[in-house]
Amino acid sequence: MATANTVSSDQATATAVRADLLVFIAPMPPEQLESILGHLATEFHGEELVVATANDPTGTAHPEIRVLPVQATNAVWPIAAVDFVNAVHAAKENEAKAVLLLGPGADSLSPAALRGLVKSVVEAKSDLAVPHYSLPVNAGLVNSAIIFPLTRALFASRVRYPLSIDMALSLRMAERLGSTAQKFVNQNQPDAIVWPVSEAMVAGLSIDEVDVGTRELPQPAEPNINAILSLVTGSLFADIEAKAAFWQRPRRLLPEHRSFSAMPGVDGAVDIAPMVEAFRLAFTNLQEIWGLVLAPNSLLGLKRLSVVDPATFRMPETLWARVVFDFLVAYRLRTINRGHLMGALIPLYLAWVAGHLNVVGSGTDAEVHVEAVAAAFESEKQYIVSRWRWPDRFNS
Amino acid sequence: MERLMGMMLQTVQNYNPPPPITNDSIPLWTHISDALRQSVYRVLSLFIAVLPGILAVFVALTLFTLIGMGLSLLLRRGLSFVKFDERLNRGNPEWSPSSSPTMLIARGAFWGCVLLGLVIGVSAFDASYSTGTPLPISLLPYLTKMVGALLVMIAGTVIARFLARSVLIGAVNAQLQYARFLSLGVKWLVLVLTAAMVLDHLEVGGKIVELAFGILFGGIVLTLALAVGLGSRDLVSRSLEGRAEPRPERVPPPPEVVTPKPVEPIRHETIRHF
Repeated sequence: MATANTVSSDQATATAVRADLLVFIAPMPPEQLESILGHLATEFHGEELVVATANDPTGTAHPEIRVLPVQATNAVWPIAAVDFVNAVHAAKENEAKAVLLLGPGADSLSPAALRGLVKSVVEAKSDLAVPHYSLPVNAGLVNSAIIFPLTRALFASRVRYPLSIDMALSLRMAERLGSTAQKFVNQNQPDAIVWPVSEAMVAGLSIDEVDVGTRELPQPAEPNINAILSLVTGSLFADIEAKAAFWQRPRRLLPEHRSFSAMPGVDGAVDIAPMVEAFRLAFTNLQEIWGLVLAPNSLLGLKRLSVVDPATFRMPETLWARVVFDFLVAYRLRTINRGHLMGALIPLYLAWVAGHLNVVGSGTDAEVHVEAVAAAFESEKQYIVSRWRWPDRFNS
Repeated sequence: MERLMGMMLQTVQNYNPPPPITNDSIPLWTHISDALRQSVYRVLSLFIAVLPGILAVFVALTLFTLIGMGLSLLLRRGLSFVKFDERLNRGNPEWSPSSSPTMLIARGAFWGCVLLGLVIGVSAFDASYSTGTPLPISLLPYLTKMVGALLVMIAGTVIARFLARSVLIGAVNAQLQYARFLSLGVKWLVLVLTAAMVLDHLEVGGKIVELAFGILFGGIVLTLALAVGLGSRDLVSRSLEGRAEPRPERVPPPPEVVTPKPVEPIRHETIRHF
C-alpha cells in the first residue's frame, strides 16, 4: 500500500514552526518558482509563511521565506491527489490556518491575485477560494463544454473553473480534501484528480470565487485530446457517480451578484471545418456505438446536425446536455467499455467546440453562450435524474 | 427409473449373440435380422453404460443449482443485515460497478455453485463412460471437448468485438476514412483465428483447417495491408518527405483580392482544450 505522507519526517520535524499560511507549490521550472517566491515575499511581507515544494530552493533570492521540501511527484497537471496529501500534512505539521495551493505556471498570477485568494479564506472565512481566470475563447474548452455545466447543474455551484489548479483552503476544507486524496493514494492512484468544488458542496462548506485575471494555464504533458478528455471526463463522471445520493436531491442555484473580468477575444477567424468533418465521419461510423449509449431523440438530433453546413453549424444546447447526460448514464451502467465510451464522446465534443466557435465568431460573447449551455444542463437535470434511476425507460 | 434400467439390463443379459454364419443356405432376411440384433445390442449396451453418467450430470447440476440459490439468498440477506454495502462504500467511495457489492457476491456464489455442479457432473459422466462402456463411439468423447471449444468461441467473440470497437473508435478519432473497413478486418481476423482454434480443439478437419486458416488469415492481412497502404499513400509520402527534409510551413494560397487586413485563420491545433 502506498504511503500517504511523502514529506520527509526528519526534515518536517526539524523545520516545523507555527505559520499562518502554508503555500504548496507544484513542481515547476526554477525561474517560475523564483518568480512566485518574489510575489509571496512582496505580498506577504512580515507574515508567518511557510512554502512546501518539491522544487530545489537553493540559490533563491528570497532566503527569508522558509521552504519545506516535499517528495517530487510525477504529476504535472492538474494538482494530483498525492499533492493534496502532502500539502495537508505540511499544513498540520506547521499548524497553518490556511493553505494556498499553486499549480504549474502560477507565476503568471499577480501578487494581488494571491492575496485575494488568501484573503477570501482568512478574512471572509470561506472554506474554499477558487480563482476565476480570464481565458481566451479558444482555451479551456473542455471546462466550458462539460466540467462547468455539469458541476453547476448537479452540484448547484457557479464556480466557473471547478478544476482550477490554484486555490486557497481553510484547514477544515484542507482536511476534507486530504482525506479524499488519501483514499486515492491508498488505492495506488497517487495521480488521481480530486474535485474540490463537489467535495465542498457535499460537505456543506462555503466556496468563494476570486477574480484573478489572466493566467497562463499549463497544458497536459500528453497533448493528445483523446487521452486527456478521457482522463478528465472519466474522473468527473466517477466523482459524480460517487456523489449520486447528493446531487439527485433538488437544489437551488444561488444568484450571482458579482461580475468578473471580461474574457480576452481572439483575433482572426476560426477554421472549424476539420472538427465538423470529424463529427460527420464519426456519425457515419459510430452509429452502432452511439446507438447503445444515446437515447433515440439524441440520435435523431445528431442526424439532423450531421447535414448542417459548417458555416451555420451549431449544436443545440439541449441536445448537448442530453448527450453528456446519456454518456454519464452509460458510464455508470458500463453499457460499453469505459475507454470506448470516452473515445466515442470525442467527436461529439469536437462538434460542440465547432458550434461554440461559430457562435463566438458570429459576435456572441463566449460567456453568454457558455451560460446558455449551463442553463440547458440545469433545465435538463430532471432528465439525468430520471435516466439515472430508470435507465431503460428512455430506450424506446 | 430403476425398474426401467432393470428391464434393460435383463434384456441385455438374456440376449445371446447369434452364432457366426457358416451356412450359405440361410436366407438373406436372417442375415439382416442378425445384423439388426447386434446393432441393437451394441446401442443398448452403450446406453446402459452411459445412462448413469447422464443422470449424474443432471442430478449434480440440479443439486448444485439449488444449493447455489439457497446460498445466494442466504448471502443477500446476511450481507444486507450487516449493511455490508454501506460499510464497504465508506472505505471505498469510488465503487463503480453497476450492481451493489452484495448482489455481486450473491451472484458470484450462485454461478460458482452452478459451475461446480457442471464440473462434477461432467467428470462423473466421463468416468462412467470410460469405465463402463464396452464399445467406443466417436461422438461422446466430444462432450468434454465441446465445453472447452464453447469457452474458446465465447472468449474469441468477446475479444473480436472489443478489438473491433477499439480500432473503430481509434481510427475515427484519427480521422481515417476507412475506419469501418479496418475495424471489420480486425474483427474477422480474430473470428477466423477463433474458428480455427475451435476446430483444432475439436480435432475436426485436421490439415484442411490449418491450410484454410492460413489462406484466410493471410488473405485478410494482405487485403488490410493493401487497403491501408493505398489509402494512406499520401500520409506515408508526407511522413517520409518530412523526415528527409524539414516540413514546409503551410503556405496560404495567393490572395486573389487584396484586403486591407487579412484574417489569419486559427488552425485546429491552436485550440486549447484545457
